[in-house]
Amino acid sequence: MKKLLGAYIQDGRKYIILQENGKVVALEGNASEFKNSELLKNRNEYVKNVLEKEEIYGDDVFDFRYGPVTSGVGEAGVYHLYTYGERILSVKIDTSYKRRALDDKMISSDINDALKLSEEICGNFAISHSIAFSRAVENALKIEVSRDIKALKAIAIELERIYNHLYVISRLAGAAAQQVLASHLMGLFEDSLVVNKIFSGSRYLIRFNSIGSVLRFPSHEELKDVTDKVKKIKSAFSELYKNSMSSGNYIDRLHLTATLSAKDAELIGLTGPSLRACGVKEDLRTHDEIYRGIKIVSDEEGDALSRMEVRAGEILESLKFIQKTVDNLSLDKAMPFISTESGEGIGWSESPSGTIIYHVEIENFRIKSVYVSTPSVFGMSAIAHSMVGNIFTDFPFAVESFGVNFSDAAR
Amino acid sequence: MKWWPMVGISKMLTEDKKYESKARVKKMGIFRRSFHIYTIDVGNSNILNFEMRALQTPKYNVHRFGIYFAASPRHADLLIVLGRPTKKMVAPLLETINQIPEPFGVILLKGCGSSGIDLDELKLPNVVASVNGCPEPSEILAILLKISGRVD
Repeated sequence: MKKLLGAYIQDGRKYIILQENGKVVALEGNASEFKNSELLKNRNEYVKNVLEKEEIYGDDVFDFRYGPVTSGVGEAGVYHLYTYGERILSVKIDTSYKRRALDDKMISSDINDALKLSEEICGNFAISHSIAFSRAVENALKIEVSRDIKALKAIAIELERIYNHLYVISRLAGAAAQQVLASHLMGLFEDSLVVNKIFSGSRYLIRFNSIGSVLRFPSHEELKDVTDKVKKIKSAFSELYKNSMSSGNYIDRLHLTATLSAKDAELIGLTGPSLRACGVKEDLRTHDEIYRGIKIVSDEEGDALSRMEVRAGEILESLKFIQKTVDNLSLDKAMPFISTESGEGIGWSESPSGTIIYHVEIENFRIKSVYVSTPSVFGMSAIAHSMVGNIFTDFPFAVESFGVNFSDAAR
Repeated sequence: MKWWPMVGISKMLTEDKKYESKARVKKMGIFRRSFHIYTIDVGNSNILNFEMRALQTPKYNVHRFGIYFAASPRHADLLIVLGRPTKKMVAPLLETINQIPEPFGVILLKGCGSSGIDLDELKLPNVVASVNGCPEPSEILAILLKISGRVD
């Protein structure tokens, strides 16, 4: 099914950005033909369940406002939970508290400054944003990127996937009162941030990517250190995950919580591990030559447990990919050749929580226009849809299992 | 009786690495064994939120220094402000400070982002440390230990 992920106007004409079968395209068209077009219109202010048929109201229905300052919601954002006491009837998510207008700030700035701003949108998806942006610029300015540079960027994005997935699973374990598991996973999360620093010089892989190249080439010793540490994380995580799956208490809290069907997920525009947990085997990486042989991890039930299992499977796949890719790296430091200074292009990346897309227009190496599509907008709508009928105590499982961020949604 | 509850663990006896920060901080001089922290995100890129989570991992084991994270500002001794505020987060930030019981301290971690209102312009009360950039958990821990008077 075609999923609408973005809409922009260029030279007075309307364009839409679609994803289908793991491919992203921009073409002339009208977004209003898609059920989730309202999401794109209002995403700077709020996100709703786009599949909600009617407004929920009634004498006993009230708005339970959760955020922007509460220990339950770490970021500056608000969940409006409409309920009559226990069961959640409707959810509306206010993203405006975290709106920094970084995409607007990119206009007229130099492409390298705009690259830094793309990393600022969401710190824990920094390299995914940065790579999607740099790909858009590389396509616009027809810059060829060498295979080794592509491999280094792919390793960085997989490192980002690993620490984000570890974080999400740890949060789920914590919410299910599995504190020992959660603490062990948070220990591995910190270990993976240390690996990021060895590889890129930054715990969050910032200032590593550049247009057509990378800003830092890890040494052979550093790469060896990365593979040694990755092996340790792999073995520790495999054991923890195997043990966790034998805990009935843990599994029971996640099973059939915040369930989403594949059809609804696609109508909402969901991508990434949350879509794959609904049985849709779609991953942008499968069309990338660098990722040849990577296995798409998917599951069938579309609940919080499936989403956790997909993320766990992806951690192991990413660790395997890093080990294999580092072994075949030759560290070619060729600089990119830039033949033109203006153009238009689209770029994307498979972030830890779904597709990030940038469409850019460049004039004299400056950004003339930019459109950013982020997975958290669609993930938040999926939270709002999947929470309907669930109770308050299920709320953290729904929120954490989709791995969304207010900073990513509000930009 | 064990010896450590009597003297408090003021030295990192089991670690070869020291927690260090060049940030200028004000010792509060009011804590003896423990203090409670509340963090508020006012618009950072999420790196500081993640670093605060990383600080709570067993790798740093902050409880041994009597450092605890509170679930409400009303239970906190220290407020850590993460990032530079967006316009909409100024009022919630001021109200959060209003809810902390006296005496309290405020730590400003300004973050590595380029957006947001300058925190110095807000003239927040009781600022005991102000740090530019995104410090790593070990540096945040060093700042907390300095404020509490456990290290110089």
